[in-house]
Amino acid sequence: MASVHESLYFNPMMTNGVVHANVFGVKDWVTPYKITVLMLLDEMTVSTSITLLDRRRLNKLILPLLQSPDMTLSQLIKTVEDSCPQLAYTVHLRLQLMADGELKDMEHFFDMLPSPFNETESEAHKTSVVGLFMRHMVLAYNKLSFSQVYKLYTALQQYYQSCERKDSPAAEPAEDTGMELTNTEELGAKMEKEELDFAPSDDEVSARGPLSQKQAEYFLAQQAYLLKNDENKALDPAALQKELNNMLKFNPDFAEAHYLSYLNSMRVQDIFNSTDSLLHYFDRLILPGGDSKSNGDEGCGRSLRYAALNLAALHCRFGHYQQAELALQEAIRIAQESNDHVCLQHCLSWLYLLEQMKGSDSTLTEHAVKMAVHFCLPYLASLGIQSLVQQGAVGGKTANKLMDALKDTDLLHWKHSLSELIDISIAQKTAIWRMYGKSMMALQQAQVLLNMNSLEPVNLGVQQNNSEAFAVALCHLSELHAEQGLFAAASEILKHLRERFPPHSQHAKLWMLCDQKIQFDRAMNDGKYHLADSLVMGIAALSKTEGLYRKALVLKAQNQTTEAYKVLQRLLLYCEKIKGTEMTIRVMLSLAELHWSSCCHAIALPLLLRSLALSREYHLQHLASESILHLAFSQLMLGIPEQALNILHMAIEPILAHGALLDKGRAMLLVAKCQIVTVSSEPSKQKAQALEVAIQNLEEAGTYFAKVDCKERVRDVYYLQARLYHSLGKTAQRNKCAMLFRQHNQELPSQGVPLITRL
Amino acid sequence: MAALSSEFGDLVEIKKQLTVIIALCRERGLVHSVKWASELAFALDPLPMKELPPPPPFTEEDSQDLDAYSLAKSFFDLKEYDRAAYFLRGCRSQKAYFLYMYSRYLSGEKKKDDETVDSLGPLEKGQVKNESLRELRVELSKKHKARELDGFGLYLYGVVLRKLDLLKEAIDVFVEATHCLPLHWGSWLELCNLIENKEMLKSMSFPDTWMKDFFLAHIYTEMQMIEEALQKYQSLINVGFSKSTYIISQIAVAYHNIRDIDKALSMFNELREQDPYRIENMDTFSNLLYVRTMKPELSYLAHNLCDIDKYRVETCCVIGNYYSLRSQHEKAALYFQRALKLNPRCLGAWTLMGHEYMEMKNTSAAIQAYRHAIEVNKRDYRAWYGLGQTYEILKMPFYCLYYYRRAHQLRPNDSRMLVALGECYEKLSQLVEATKCYWRAYSVGDVERMALVKLAKLHEQLNESDQAAQCYVIYIKEIFECGELLEQVELSTAFRYLGQYYFKNKQYDDASICAQRCCNYNDAREEGKSLLRQISQVRGQAETPSSDLSLPFIFGPLSAKNTPVRRMSPLNLSSVTP
Repeated sequence: MASVHESLYFNPMMTNGVVHANVFGVKDWVTPYKITVLMLLDEMTVSTSITLLDRRRLNKLILPLLQSPDMTLSQLIKTVEDSCPQLAYTVHLRLQLMADGELKDMEHFFDMLPSPFNETESEAHKTSVVGLFMRHMVLAYNKLSFSQVYKLYTALQQYYQSCERKDSPAAEPAEDTGMELTNTEELGAKMEKEELDFAPSDDEVSARGPLSQKQAEYFLAQQAYLLKNDENKALDPAALQKELNNMLKFNPDFAEAHYLSYLNSMRVQDIFNSTDSLLHYFDRLILPGGDSKSNGDEGCGRSLRYAALNLAALHCRFGHYQQAELALQEAIRIAQESNDHVCLQHCLSWLYLLEQMKGSDSTLTEHAVKMAVHFCLPYLASLGIQSLVQQGAVGGKTANKLMDALKDTDLLHWKHSLSELIDISIAQKTAIWRMYGKSMMALQQAQVLLNMNSLEPVNLGVQQNNSEAFAVALCHLSELHAEQGLFAAASEILKHLRERFPPHSQHAKLWMLCDQKIQFDRAMNDGKYHLADSLVMGIAALSKTEGLYRKALVLKAQNQTTEAYKVLQRLLLYCEKIKGTEMTIRVMLSLAELHWSSCCHAIALPLLLRSLALSREYHLQHLASESILHLAFSQLMLGIPEQALNILHMAIEPILAHGALLDKGRAMLLVAKCQIVTVSSEPSKQKAQALEVAIQNLEEAGTYFAKVDCKERVRDVYYLQARLYHSLGKTAQRNKCAMLFRQHNQELPSQGVPLITRL
Repeated sequence: MAALSSEFGDLVEIKKQLTVIIALCRERGLVHSVKWASELAFALDPLPMKELPPPPPFTEEDSQDLDAYSLAKSFFDLKEYDRAAYFLRGCRSQKAYFLYMYSRYLSGEKKKDDETVDSLGPLEKGQVKNESLRELRVELSKKHKARELDGFGLYLYGVVLRKLDLLKEAIDVFVEATHCLPLHWGSWLELCNLIENKEMLKSMSFPDTWMKDFFLAHIYTEMQMIEEALQKYQSLINVGFSKSTYIISQIAVAYHNIRDIDKALSMFNELREQDPYRIENMDTFSNLLYVRTMKPELSYLAHNLCDIDKYRVETCCVIGNYYSLRSQHEKAALYFQRALKLNPRCLGAWTLMGHEYMEMKNTSAAIQAYRHAIEVNKRDYRAWYGLGQTYEILKMPFYCLYYYRRAHQLRPNDSRMLVALGECYEKLSQLVEATKCYWRAYSVGDVERMALVKLAKLHEQLNESDQAAQCYVIYIKEIFECGELLEQVELSTAFRYLGQYYFKNKQYDDASICAQRCCNYNDAREEGKSLLRQISQVRGQAETPSSDLSLPFIFGPLSAKNTPVRRMSPLNLSSVTP
């Protein structure tokens, strides 16, 4: 080991070998970039010729300039030029003078810098951002040792020259004395290639310069914010990791960087790196607690608890539920030992979440929420309430109670400015309204969320979140649009979703499912069952029950009754077990339809009545009207059209108000059918009148079907219309309808389900 | 493996070669290679006057450069590198050219180190680099292309490449250097640091000289292939290098690495006798003394080294160990800190400091120290293990799993990590995983002999009595074989359990033997007696004539034929192992 090079490490001046942050006690130090910024500030105070508009633009520029990482001179000049070309020129000139001059020019500059200390009338007040910056710089400059000052000056010269060189590439070889690399052609191709690999990274580093602690903190905060709120605007994972590694190389003690690296690794689902970074972060974090003797133990123990909790969260994210549970147990035990109720509350929430993810039904007690309120954890408290509301909604609690609870939490949110939770709350409302079948209300809530101005200060042009709440709201919105036949709009929304939540991201599954469902529905409407069948696999991958249900639908449509029946029975048992009421009802309805196709309308009735009772119990209006529709159809087929018409009146109103286009069409068609059957025995004059009404209803149904591309049903409508016109003796209309029917009939493949036996 | 190159036949020739290379290296200021070669040369018999090799040929160029070279060399020796380089700039001879480039390189390195203290800001520190490296690389690569570099030049080129992190190119150049000038130990040593694994080593071709054997032995030691290394060194000693302190120290280190403490200690003692003022490797020696708690020897060593040179990393580590053994952990930590001040890359010191902080119950500082150790070398298994232990002490068994796993990855055949992992799993009541760990720990050769007992107890908990009995039997056999009767508590539990087990399975002979053995231990005596009574009762009922109860002193018969082996082969245990 003892090689020549290591003997040089015997250097008594070296401090402990550890890179101590803050050797100088200041968080900032002078770099050529900062000198240029100082010049800019100085010019701004001195020069009087700047117009008001320019000045305003410049003022807006100052903060980003102070906070951002060092830029190259050309970048800086360009930025300034955008606001005020004249000032950019002056600054450039001054820098040139200084760089081409001598060391004393720089010294002079710092001497002449208007000190915010002694000049009360100075524009930069000493406690203002600019004043603080200037004082920092002056202080840092004064602390520099002799050799450091010289180094700074040479750095300044290089800074200026590198900009000049870029500006005039033609002059490069002549000026380039230090780098002989460019004119050594005799070096082989391999060599050049290496050099290419080598040079850019080197250039990049020297151009960017190391980040000062402040800049690093700002960088981390910014990236973390972006990761949370708008992932696409953050640096891409590879670049961010490179930046972080760089930062850590310069200062391994910068623990926060490890945490960001953890978050970044999570983005790309890299469990090894994320675990490593997370543990590293907490290893580093423990130090400050240990340093202060007085509450050292407390600080240390605290971070330990949260370390275990975070580890649990990590495993949870990766779906390692057993590991997560173990970590969580550990966190709970440590928290209990040290009586940390706040941490325990967090653990409790996670425990609840974990149990839910594992699929076992656990219930969060109201007591837990009360405890959270007691320990002043509004975030946890309202999360708890939201979970309770969700449970209540699924469990059939009355809407007014749920909405009341949500309103109360909303009060809490606004009070504590928990914008994230407000979003969730609104998304939840959307979902609840949707579940109840009130599409207008759902639509309205979704729009509220999307149009709401975020509470967080508008930052970096990020106005909207990319949280789960937004994904949920947007998915609902697209489904609602698709229901109304606005497929272009729906796909537009989906496109937006795809952009905002790229496929690898956490919430992408939401829109993927939504997208496939819409496509499936369209394919089914269009009668393209093979297409629908191919989509089933994709849906099943994202949601098992949904996949099974859709599979059954396809089978049913393809007249494979036995298979469909088997699947539906299995699904029904499963749904009853997991208490998925919505799905249970839908499965029951499908089962009833299966019974129709074998002409067992009487058997379908009890099923339909059960589904109606269930949907009424759980306030699922949409499904209730659907059930009524089915019921009426059964009655029609059983030969009691009057009864059918009677109960149809219950359903028709909510369907027309909230239902999907397809449902509206089906309802109108059914109404017409009932009307036709009821009037068949009546005298001819009344009959003619009633048939006219029926034709109108058919017309309406036809338009609805046409909007959702449901050609088969359109054809059926034409057929009925033609028959009605015929019986009314309106030959012209009859011929027109018959022709349209014929057109449609030729386009369509042979009929799957006979016209008469379906709703 | 033991077969050495044929060149070893002529020790005189080797000695001559060494003498030449010493002169060459000295002219070029390569002090460490000079030291190594001289050490080796010293181990061989002195040459008679007429056998002494002639001085290297003196060319016209050499004579032209002679004055400049002499002046520059004097500056170089005084560490005035820039000045040396200035006077050498026009020289044409190989020797002067090497010294010129080498001065520039060293000057860059020295400035780099100085700047680290004087940089503009803390975050800039990581950016300080040897500015001259790139220029050197360009010039050297030109020469390399033109095939103008001699062995020393190639060596320097390799060093520059390595410093620029161009490791692959560096390895190629170093290999070329060894072909060109096999006698220069520096190139070989650099290769030792660059070659990472066995496959890499196998894929390379080296010149077939006697130096290769030294190199292989060295790299085997580095790669923890201790068996091969020891063989190599032994054959080198046999050939005639028995007096070489270098070889003795390497053997001692090798023994230390495989934890053969007695042999390592004896080698170190021999080394101290031959080279009493040696400081290198003494920290390893002190580790051994520490493990054996040989206080007086450690104290003597510490004082002696302190007399020789107290500002050496090794000295500080030895003193740190000394204080640690005396349980003065604050002082120990202080000395390890000093060692780190002297050489921040001294990895052992970080880990040792972590251990000290652990002793002082300062867990956060310990974690910090271990983290530093990992930063210096990610492959330091002791630091990972230490971190695991720290968190285990903080009662976070799940959390520490990760660290133990890392340690285990680095040392897959070290039973300590496996036992630690097993204990953690046990605490998390993941018994199946725990049994896997313990079984593996036993399979790779358990140093602490605890894995089997723990495994047996786990099987007891899992109600797998056959496996449990199996483990106890193996355990007892092993303990008796090695003849140490120290762990009486565990032995008595083993016998107690086995007695009950055989009794339940109606193997009364074996049960009574075990019960008899139980009576030898205080804590199990009562149970043993009651078991004996029960056995005789049962036997009385069955009216079988009791076989003679005379105890076989050796446990042999039991394990030979009456063990549950008949019903379940011991290999069956593997069903619970991965």
